[in-house]
Amino acid sequence: MAQSLVKEFTKGLWAEIPLFRLVLGLCPALAVTKTCENGIGMGMATTFVLLFSNILVSMLRNIIPSKVRIACYIVIIATFVTIVEFVMQAYTYELFLKLGIFIPLIVVNCVVLGRAEAFAGKNTVMLSAADGLGMGIGFTLALSSLGAVRELIGAGTLTVWGGTPLFTIGHGYIPFQFMVEAPGAFVGLGMMLCLMNLIGKK
Amino acid sequence: MTNTKLIVSHAPFWHNGDSLFQQNLNFFIALLPAALFGIFHFGAPALGVLALATSSAMLWEVIMSVLSKKKMAIADMDSAIIGLLFGMMVPATMPWWVVITGTFIAVVLGKFVFGGTGANPFHPTLVGIAILTMSWPAFLDFDTAYVSYQFDFTALAPLAALKAQGTYALASFSNYDLLMGNEVGGIGSTFGLGIIIGGIYLILKGYARWEIVASFIAGVLITATLFFVLHPDTYAPPLFHLLSGYTLIGAFFLAVENSSSPVNRIPMLIYGFLGGLMIILVRNIGIYPDGTVLAILLINLVNPLIDTIRPKALGKGVPNA
Amino acid sequence: MREMLSMIVVLTVLTAVSGGLLAAVKVKTEPRIEEQVLKFQKAPAIKAIFADATNDPIKERFNVKAEDTELQVFPSTLADGIKAVAFEAKGTGFGGPIGLMVGVNLDTDEIIAVRVTTHAETPGIGSRAKEDLSFVGQFAGMSMASNFGTKGQGGDIDAMSGATVTSVGVSQAAVAAQNLYKKLKPEIVKQMN
Repeated sequence: MAQSLVKEFTKGLWAEIPLFRLVLGLCPALAVTKTCENGIGMGMATTFVLLFSNILVSMLRNIIPSKVRIACYIVIIATFVTIVEFVMQAYTYELFLKLGIFIPLIVVNCVVLGRAEAFAGKNTVMLSAADGLGMGIGFTLALSSLGAVRELIGAGTLTVWGGTPLFTIGHGYIPFQFMVEAPGAFVGLGMMLCLMNLIGKK
Repeated sequence: MTNTKLIVSHAPFWHNGDSLFQQNLNFFIALLPAALFGIFHFGAPALGVLALATSSAMLWEVIMSVLSKKKMAIADMDSAIIGLLFGMMVPATMPWWVVITGTFIAVVLGKFVFGGTGANPFHPTLVGIAILTMSWPAFLDFDTAYVSYQFDFTALAPLAALKAQGTYALASFSNYDLLMGNEVGGIGSTFGLGIIIGGIYLILKGYARWEIVASFIAGVLITATLFFVLHPDTYAPPLFHLLSGYTLIGAFFLAVENSSSPVNRIPMLIYGFLGGLMIILVRNIGIYPDGTVLAILLINLVNPLIDTIRPKALGKGVPNA
Repeated sequence: MREMLSMIVVLTVLTAVSGGLLAAVKVKTEPRIEEQVLKFQKAPAIKAIFADATNDPIKERFNVKAEDTELQVFPSTLADGIKAVAFEAKGTGFGGPIGLMVGVNLDTDEIIAVRVTTHAETPGIGSRAKEDLSFVGQFAGMSMASNFGTKGQGGDIDAMSGATVTSVGVSQAAVAAQNLYKKLKPEIVKQMN
């Protein structure tokens, strides 16, 4: 039991990391990863939703009739997303302003619904929690690394939390703005996917 | 042999001896007049930029061939032409690291990620120029690039001046000066006469299709004339548009690139005309001084669509064959 | 029949529980959110409107009430001694309510400036109402009695190209501000003195 728990948790971190392996949840990944901080914030919000929606879906999997399961999942997910939205407004308002419309859009994030349908609807509560947490952390890692790459090249800074850069490349560096623009997100994601495939080829 | 659609004629076939190398060599020869004039005009830095652009583009090709385990195709000079064209479109004072980044984008993002030679949906050089324009516009600004130079003509980029000052600026540029390269601009894109000579050589050799070039120029002239006739005070005359900026190098060398332009006659005419039209729209209505790069990227994008306009096949098709 | 019933029951219970939970969270976080909105949205807007205020409008805010409407008002004394107030009105845009902070000169009933505060408009399209000041700048100097409709509706405001719904939302908010002002001005003046 303990072994499979670990297995379900770690698969989300590397073997099935949502953004780079499953290529799910691209909308927030491309839209908000202008800075590393945005990626972390979005990832944490998604992790919270994933964890609790997985737990609840798994708890209710024997009660929910299969014909209305998607509707039920959406209600559960939307509830947690709205909670996240309220909490972020109350405590991290500046981050909420930056992520804006993309927080409510977690409802339609494929990773969340995908895990509810593919995993939590068929497995026990403990396993689903491990899966949700692993996937969420994997998603956060993917978003923050993509955000870090884009921010480093596109703005010459690295912001982890709180709006002030943790690290700035020297004054001689002229930011390659393309990377923080929308098309740069696609190119950045493509390069990360390429890197993942190169590493994971064996 | 049930698939009758694929039967062309009886063997044996024969090859006319042409190759990708032959084609690119002819491109190279055709580009020479304009490039040599650029070196003569802007001095040693221009030679440096051209050499660096060409060699770094070839180096990126070698690196990418090794990384992607493709057959080394550097000898066919495809990347060399991409690099050379890149060098011809940028100012002579561009720093070396900008040139190398630009050719990296052109060769790797413009060509290799789509599958290498012949698979690129856009002209690779234009991908490089466009991304650089978005990121480091300061290095592509022809006005500031040549401040330390002494010219015996107006050292203002014609199109930027037109955008900034309106038709008022036109008095300082005569059509003859623009044609003979007496203007600031990209190393190899100022000498209109050289580009035209090289382009006609390519058309005669059959490597560039006259349909694209002619309809492209017609698009520029007709659209610009319409604007000019309606509001002569606000818009520049058509010949100015044809001779300034990247228009000529775009018409003769960039729009005709094989894998990103159509193969049939009517699509070629539409493709070229659309490009010319877009250039004038961007210049007269848009916010960028020169729309050539964007216009050609746009027609590259619609190329697969307009290429579906093709003649009806002779004979009767076999249903569900 | 049994399946039908269970579907209805499960969905009803689920939505009811979720609704209850959300209501509870909203009640819990509401004061804190209002505080944050005041700090990050209203305060910068008021500062931009009353650039030369001699007092602290945020600290001196008070509520006025007339009949059934209540309004939070930020009073200010400008550098040249003019008394002015700012208050927020709402309109409906593309992505939900748009908050518009309106600063009015109490003596002449003229608008000093307006700024968009909270909104959920599309980034880069409707959000220009907040970022690009040329649109909201049109309101500055207009009388509180003018027609705030967009030109398409026969009013005096040029809509932003490509963001008609947002523009109409902002103009709606301005009209709402007009009505509030008409109704509450006597009360505001009474409380300011």
